Amino acid sequence: MGKYRRPVQIVILLAVLIVGGYAIGTSLFAAKEDGIPKVGGTPPDFTLVDLQGNTHQLSDYKGKAVVINFWGTFCPPCVKEMPEFERQFAKWKDEGLEILAINLSEDTLTVNNFVRRFELNYPILRDVNKKTERSYGLRSYPTTFFVKPDGKIMEIKVGGMTEQDIDERVIELLKY
Amino acid sequence: MSLIDFSSDAFVVAFFLYCFAFMFYVIAIAGKKWSNRDPEKHEKKWGLIAFVTSSLGLVGHLTFFFTRWIGSKQIPTSNMYEFITFLGMAIMIAFTIVYAIYKKPLLGMFALPLTVIVVAYAAVFPQEVQPLIPALDDIWLKVHVTTAALGEAFFAVGFAAGLMYLLRVIDFSDKSKKGKRGQFWLEFSLYTIIIVVGFVIAVFAFRGMGYEAHFVQEKSTIDSKGVESTKRETVDYTLPPIVKPYNSQAESVDSFLGMDHAVFEAPYWMNGVNAGRKLNTVIWSVIAGSILYGLLRLAFRKPLAAVIHPLMDGIDPEDLDEISYRAIAIGFPIFTLGALIFAMIWAEKAWGRFWGWDPKEVWALISWLYYSAYLHFRLSRGWQGKRSSWLAVIGFVVILFTLIGVNLIIAGLHSYAGV
Amino acid sequence: MLSLHNTKCECGHQNAVGTVLCESCGKPLIENAESDTPLEMRYDGVARRSQKSNPSIIDRVWNFFSSVKIAVYLIVLTLLSATLGTIYPQEDSFLNNFDATTYYKEQYGLPGQIYYTLGLSHTYESWWFITLLVMIGTSLVICSLDRVLPLYRALSKQQVRKHLRFINRQKTVYTAQIDGSAEEWVQSFGNQLKRKRYRIFSDGTALLAEKNRFSRWGPYINHIGLILFLLAILARGIPGWQMDSYVTIPDGDTVHIDGTNYYVKNEKFTVNYYSDDELPEELKGKARAKLYETKAVLYTCVSQCSDSSVKPELVEVDRHDIIVNSPLNYKGLKLYQFDYDVTPKLKGVKPVLINKATGETFGPFELPMKDAPIDYDLGAYHLKLVANYMEFAVGDDGEPVTLSREPNAPAFIFLITGPDLPAKGQPYMYFPMQKDKEKFGQDQLNASIADKLEIKVQGMENVDFSEASTYLNVRMDKALPYVWIGATISMIGLLMGSYWQHRRIWLRIDDGELSLGAHTNKNWYGMRADLAAALRQQGITVDPKSLDNGGNNA
Repeated sequence: MGKYRRPVQIVILLAVLIVGGYAIGTSLFAAKEDGIPKVGGTPPDFTLVDLQGNTHQLSDYKGKAVVINFWGTFCPPCVKEMPEFERQFAKWKDEGLEILAINLSEDTLTVNNFVRRFELNYPILRDVNKKTERSYGLRSYPTTFFVKPDGKIMEIKVGGMTEQDIDERVIELLKY
Repeated sequence: MSLIDFSSDAFVVAFFLYCFAFMFYVIAIAGKKWSNRDPEKHEKKWGLIAFVTSSLGLVGHLTFFFTRWIGSKQIPTSNMYEFITFLGMAIMIAFTIVYAIYKKPLLGMFALPLTVIVVAYAAVFPQEVQPLIPALDDIWLKVHVTTAALGEAFFAVGFAAGLMYLLRVIDFSDKSKKGKRGQFWLEFSLYTIIIVVGFVIAVFAFRGMGYEAHFVQEKSTIDSKGVESTKRETVDYTLPPIVKPYNSQAESVDSFLGMDHAVFEAPYWMNGVNAGRKLNTVIWSVIAGSILYGLLRLAFRKPLAAVIHPLMDGIDPEDLDEISYRAIAIGFPIFTLGALIFAMIWAEKAWGRFWGWDPKEVWALISWLYYSAYLHFRLSRGWQGKRSSWLAVIGFVVILFTLIGVNLIIAGLHSYAGV
Repeated sequence: MLSLHNTKCECGHQNAVGTVLCESCGKPLIENAESDTPLEMRYDGVARRSQKSNPSIIDRVWNFFSSVKIAVYLIVLTLLSATLGTIYPQEDSFLNNFDATTYYKEQYGLPGQIYYTLGLSHTYESWWFITLLVMIGTSLVICSLDRVLPLYRALSKQQVRKHLRFINRQKTVYTAQIDGSAEEWVQSFGNQLKRKRYRIFSDGTALLAEKNRFSRWGPYINHIGLILFLLAILARGIPGWQMDSYVTIPDGDTVHIDGTNYYVKNEKFTVNYYSDDELPEELKGKARAKLYETKAVLYTCVSQCSDSSVKPELVEVDRHDIIVNSPLNYKGLKLYQFDYDVTPKLKGVKPVLINKATGETFGPFELPMKDAPIDYDLGAYHLKLVANYMEFAVGDDGEPVTLSREPNAPAFIFLITGPDLPAKGQPYMYFPMQKDKEKFGQDQLNASIADKLEIKVQGMENVDFSEASTYLNVRMDKALPYVWIGATISMIGLLMGSYWQHRRIWLRIDDGELSLGAHTNKNWYGMRADLAAALRQQGITVDPKSLDNGGNNA
């Protein structure tokens, strides 16, 4: 054993370093990455259909300033926000702003009626069985993600906003 | 007479046999110094009488256990009453095994009162057979609970022997700072035991008086779907309320010595099942225990440890040290198997995860780490005698916290109903 | 620092630096030669590998982890930090809809906020707790390796004839004058010990008796098991090795299991309660579940899996009646009964249209709560669905609104055309649930049309309820077999080391003078009893206790 002592020591200490480093590393890493999007992180990709039957994939919007808004007709602050988003969309769409409003898995009829009533022109996407909503780890509605052109989240706003709130954030977002 | 009634009778018989066995063990040891007899013969004779009595007590206890099992069609380890009586029985089994190895009657002098206290403590809890919820109806649960309790019982015997060692070796004429400290903590250990006795006395005294008080507590909970709901619950007290449940109103409070309302409210962070009531019980136990301790001090006019110390004369401390260590060394693998491995198997089967960092699981792990530290200290660091005995005493406190304390202040999967 | 002088023993054996007792004859090497206190017999006095005269960095790290003192401190530190995690509930004990950033502060005030800020709300996943476990694992490897190899070497080449000082300084000793032939005495004493299952090695007037040597390996086997166990837990972090999520499935529904290609259907959920006569007094009248069961079917998706706009094509792969303690298990994917919700959910109704004047009925027609069709042709009448509300209410502005997306109080507005009705149609508001019909006054809302027509459900057979939802816990854990293997090995080692003891007896007779020493790693009581019994057979009666030479009884 004697002459193999040093190599054995080195091998064991290296193994400890690798295995232990991996364990500690993942614990450090896991504390930040639990799949739910965070500010500075990348929002989970989705492929959803709008009311006209067109498919929208989030990754196709890379390079553009995107506002992802989760909404439902059953949520009064969402209902209040939708026309505000419409005005903001009209104001900024020429600057390159995109708004993706994801409905929270409601009926086609319900969504159609709503969109017709408020004459909304930005894409209204239809989540199915709360799948997208879950992948975004939503806890309450509305929740709005402001995504920079580089695909990173600038801000996550939980709860309703005034039109001025939206405006300020869009101006900020378009600076990137 | 139903089987369950018969089983309760067997329990009472076992209890009294334990009490008698305790007296016989005391006679066997203390009687050695009586005049006109050969100490060795005396110890042998009375030791045998005591051992037969305690064994009969164990037979009665086993009868209770199995008849209750047959009568209720489920293993009697599913509520606090059943579990604690089982623990008492396990301590007797562990004691009998250790006794069979060492044949030292003096061990009975400490193991039996421990059993008596544990069994009396059990009698405080509601004794009805309660049907199991489905999660608890599994063979692995039975194996887990019984094996864990047996392991803990060996730790209890280790504790008893460790305490005896301390009572034997701590010198009451030592006036140095270190000596004083040892005396204080030993006395404190005895005081703590008396508080448990005080608890049993308080509960039975007020139960005898038929004391009752009721509170309505408002509790807001958030369920798994995130919906917050407020529940109004009635909390029934059987001891006069010094502390009322957090966020509660008195409904009716019997007057006790002119006390007809609660003095304090339980803090909000005590969120175990019926935490307020349990805190109240703890306070009463301390009061009753302190009165009892005060009376004993008044009667003997010296520290209780100093009263017991002379009784231990002529006992080889090394024997006690070894018995304490052996009991723990025997209990450790059983505890590992029961409280960790079988628990993991069951958890895997019931919840799909073998480990979930539930407070009870964590405390089982803490107990296990504690006793493995004990073994390493002893084997490799040479911690023996006093240090080792202190560790055995503290270890039992850790075990008791795991068994009872966790349920008292931390909410989790293992909540039992209790006083 | 240990002495570097000549480590050659007087018996001629060359010992390694750090040797306490000569590996061959057992003569104490570095202790005061005149002392007669019992010897330190740990690891048989061999030099541990880690002890070196001129340590480098690697040696220093190695020596740190090789120390049992450090190992015990690590254990104590781990147990103390584990207690911290039980003060408040851990983050992962909450399922969903839980915001850790605010929960601890709201629930427990300032202490709760400090608790959260310190990261104690996820103690067991924190880097420092993991670091402690890694250090314990390292210590397990290095401590064991440093001790087991020298110990193995020492035990596999034991000398029968030991140095007198070695024998006389054992913890259990006996000396006496022996009359008659020394060889014969040794022979017959050896035979006595053989009956006690000792293995006997003898060279005439000296003897070594040994039993249960294997128990010495117990602790090391135990440590190997623990290392395996820790590695298995670590392996669960490998992507795809572990999964833990929850699904809620109303009766009759099929849902997708996130992150997999599986779908699971709840064909029927049933729950039985204890009857009152099975319950003790204080529980009577309370619903206490006796058994709950989900008839589950597991599917895999074979095509159209990722497109949310089309229905995926599913193939059944397994079915099982899931109850607590009996999960569905398919290729390592396990579905556990976790909880249930017995709030009934309306799934659909089959109402008819009644002409109140003639008593004619049309239909029934299917009206599902979710994604109901738009057009219905019923005889001469045509119904067009124009609006629906899952939980109907009247908003602040008098407009109808829905309070949620679950059909808790559904309402439908149809535009009806047909005989006796205006050409552009007349709206009719329909509440499938009787309680809502009364609460919101369906007939008043419908006004004039309510006199002519009525939509209503005839009989409960036309109501489709999901009676309950089952909550299943979805789990997968590929490391599990290794966890059990590790635990089993560790347990075997523990049993070996705890319930058997390595006992050795050395003796030599020099000029009729018997010197006998005995050593065990545990249970001196048993050791002395063995020896006293063997001596008694030789005609020497001793009190077992008198064999004790003092010292520690580890």
